[in-house]
Amino acid sequence: MKIHRFRNFRLMALLFGTILVTSCSKDDDVPEEENELEVITDVTLVFTNTADANDVVEATAQDPDGIGIQELVILNEIDLDAGKTYTLTFEIFNNLETPGEDIGDEILEEANEHQFFFGFSDDAFTNPAGNGNIDTASDPISYNDKDENGNPVGLSTTWTTAVTALSGGTFTVRLKHQPDVKTSTSGANDGETDFNLLFSLNIQ
Amino acid sequence: MKHQFILSLFLFIWSNSVMTQEKYCPYSVSGKVLDIVTKEPIANVTIKIQDTEKYTLTDKVGNFLIDDLCSNNNTLIISCLGYSGSTSHHHHENGSLPHLYLTQKVTGLDEVTVQAQKIKEKGTETISQVTLGKNEITGDATQSLAAALSGLQGVTFTSAGTNIQLPVIHGLSGNRILVLNNGLKHGFQNWGTDHAPEIDITSANSITVIKGASSVRFGPEALGGVIIVESNSLRLNTPLYINLGTGFQTNGGGINTNLEIVKGSNKWGYFLNGNFNKIGDRKAPDYSLTNTGKEEKSFSFGVLRHLKNWDFKIYYSFVDQNLALLRSSIAHSGDAFVRALNSDAPIIIDSFSYDIDAPNQTIQHHLAKAEINWYSNKGKLSLRGGMQLNKRDEFDVRRNSKKPIIDLDLITYDYQLEWRHPNWSRLDGLFGIQYFSQDNDNNPGTDTTPFIPNYNISRYSAFGTERLKFGKNTVEAGVRIDFEFDDVRGRKANQNIFRDDYSFANLTASFGYSRQLSENTSFRTNLGTAWRTPNMAELFSFGQHGFKTTFGLLRFTDNNGVLSTDDILPLDKSVVEPEKGYKFINEFKTYRNGNFHNLTVYSHYIENYIFDRPIGVFGTIRGPTPAFIFDQANALFLGADYSWQKELDKNISGILGFSYLWSKNIIENVPLINQPPISTSLEIQWDQGKVWGFKTSKWIIRYSYTFRQLQAPRTVLPQSLIDGSKIITIDSEIFDFMNAPRDYFLLNLSWNFKWKNLSGSIAAQNLLNSRYRDYLNEMRYFADDLGRNLLFTLNYSFKGKNNK
Repeated sequence: MKIHRFRNFRLMALLFGTILVTSCSKDDDVPEEENELEVITDVTLVFTNTADANDVVEATAQDPDGIGIQELVILNEIDLDAGKTYTLTFEIFNNLETPGEDIGDEILEEANEHQFFFGFSDDAFTNPAGNGNIDTASDPISYNDKDENGNPVGLSTTWTTAVTALSGGTFTVRLKHQPDVKTSTSGANDGETDFNLLFSLNIQ
Repeated sequence: MKHQFILSLFLFIWSNSVMTQEKYCPYSVSGKVLDIVTKEPIANVTIKIQDTEKYTLTDKVGNFLIDDLCSNNNTLIISCLGYSGSTSHHHHENGSLPHLYLTQKVTGLDEVTVQAQKIKEKGTETISQVTLGKNEITGDATQSLAAALSGLQGVTFTSAGTNIQLPVIHGLSGNRILVLNNGLKHGFQNWGTDHAPEIDITSANSITVIKGASSVRFGPEALGGVIIVESNSLRLNTPLYINLGTGFQTNGGGINTNLEIVKGSNKWGYFLNGNFNKIGDRKAPDYSLTNTGKEEKSFSFGVLRHLKNWDFKIYYSFVDQNLALLRSSIAHSGDAFVRALNSDAPIIIDSFSYDIDAPNQTIQHHLAKAEINWYSNKGKLSLRGGMQLNKRDEFDVRRNSKKPIIDLDLITYDYQLEWRHPNWSRLDGLFGIQYFSQDNDNNPGTDTTPFIPNYNISRYSAFGTERLKFGKNTVEAGVRIDFEFDDVRGRKANQNIFRDDYSFANLTASFGYSRQLSENTSFRTNLGTAWRTPNMAELFSFGQHGFKTTFGLLRFTDNNGVLSTDDILPLDKSVVEPEKGYKFINEFKTYRNGNFHNLTVYSHYIENYIFDRPIGVFGTIRGPTPAFIFDQANALFLGADYSWQKELDKNISGILGFSYLWSKNIIENVPLINQPPISTSLEIQWDQGKVWGFKTSKWIIRYSYTFRQLQAPRTVLPQSLIDGSKIITIDSEIFDFMNAPRDYFLLNLSWNFKWKNLSGSIAAQNLLNSRYRDYLNEMRYFADDLGRNLLFTLNYSFKGKNNK
């Protein structure tokens, strides 16, 4: 009888020993700091008069809390002069980090995966004419840059405003991320949207 | 009228062991054999113990007794004049007096089938429950646990596509359902509709569903019910048994293969089980569902060592899954979401492939358990210890990254000590204590703010249940108290650290009564309460995952209607309260003249019911994004499950099923969201018996009709939120982004056969290739559900002749 007992306890010890040893280790680990890759908080459109580098019109959209629930704020309307030619460039930042991270560099590095698309009030511009290439990708936009495959990127574009005044028009800029999707015919609905911003446009 | 050949025997067997004797063969088996139709005892039925010379005949009143048995696990061979012999495994654990109910159903003169009805789990005798056996589970070896159970009345599943399905009992899912995996609470990321328990059903021998709120014995928080998954029960004295199964299915080009080996000697028992599944992109009737494949590998084994008065068991299982989610379910902006909703077909459709790309999940789940049972005249003592490791990576379609967006390791420890006391006069019951702990850690490298924080949970519990039988009445009562301590560490969006720690005391209590109204009719009723601590996702969810952003109860603040997610409320300072459920459930069963009726009626009131719901589309730099928040309300659930089985002929039976659930947020008098719609089914079974050289041949046709959910919240289209024509605030009435899908019919057909050592089936799911969307499937926003699927399964089983 005693021998039996002893053997039982040995078996019991064997079964539970391993588990007991490894348990009961309360820790206080905090998740490591992560570098938010996909957040853009601030996008500024910079229209520079091609004839006068000091004539700059800026319009900024800001999402102060990134993926948080706070609404996007459009800080400015776009107020352009009639009958002038502008170059449009961007300042794109993640300001949740200090210092802010320049996402524009990242887009440039991956130019063959990105394209900017534009939509605007009909005939707001004489060049490009029409309403932009968001609805139809082949519609004219004056891209100043190309990726290594010869497809447009849009970090720089040229715009000539109409001579007639426009008040309360719209100007939409959409950045698409199109890894393995971007071709000469891919459009504003292909791939993922990095940003999609709607500004009011005034021309006087 | 033609004489009915269906002779059913009711067998009550109980067993007794005489512990005081020092004899080597202290076991006995006794019982009674009754005709189930006439209720007359049957005399002169031969009862023989397999592999022994021991046998007896039933006496004039159907009683029999065989004693001096040397094993506590016996196979009874029951034969009755005019009928062929049948065998019934009878495994009993000494020290208690288990009843093994055997219903014998005789189809034709030369065929006897014995179906063992599983004894009700201790402490839940007065609660409605149902058990599925091996055959019912493995008809489709690739299906999920939830899908296997969804044929039961009152049980359905909520899902994020075909690969991820979570059981729903009486409208409740997630961690309101306690999934007991081989005696341990399955320790996994149990939150959201996209995390299903990682359990391979081919390793299960039986699955029991308890539909009550008060699983005093198994754990707290099970407001919805308990699902008990048990693998091979490790029998002694079992001849070598090998089963090799394989299957193919047309939808998704799925293949599966599984192997099980079982053997038991008089001191040892073991089993081994392995399974492999691979399925490619599934098809809806009109298009391919791109990226919906899965790959699953699993392995388990168990060993039993039996000594006099002692049983030692160890069990280990490993499940490895790679589950794809529909590619088109990821919409990175409100515009894309609107387009996905408005499109009849998914936005992205590629040709068929076995490849699994993002979005997908990879999970490895290890479960190890050791158990000791000690039997004496002072009762049965069980000590159970378990450890689980759950490693989960989730991949979204991400802008610049192939890194997982969620990368979590969850370690669970569970120790239980349980004492089933011997009868105290007429009281039968058990007491137990439990220690349970979980440690969740985020692995670095996701490049995003953790969706779920790091946390540690410690829980100390004590419980007891008692049962009193008098005459045809049983009264049952149980109570359980849990003290839970939680310690949480996470990151805000600006990567600042936040901490919280809090504790809860949870009560679970149950009081039930059952009565055998007549030989054919029984009634049971149970009133129970169970409390539930809000889980980590409900409290702390933060950020974008899939097509939406979600914010937990503590992750947003309401400043005069303006929502902010910058701060995190400490739980103590918030209005968050644990859920408290009160469920009253009644079951009425009757069998008469070939008609078997089962009616379950329940009401369930839940205080502080937690649910997630759309709150709007919020402006982000990417465009408006659908956002969901968690919310609390008092909710009432009223429902009924009904089934009527009728023997239409000696070989044909029909089963009519009906499930109804009414639910409401009674604070605001508005509907809840994502509640199961009314469903009905009609199943006809035709058992041909021996025909065409087959040992058995059985046809099942099942017709199911699911109503449109008429209690869905109102619909507010995302485009009307984006263009500002509808304004939603936190105080607005609950809504959904899309109408509840319309009603649908599904037709399933199967043929099962046995031939020599082979058994198999050919089955068709959604035979008519109907287009449908399921209200509880999150993918209903984006695509139709599966089209026709033909499944072919074949099993080869080998059974040794003796148990040496």
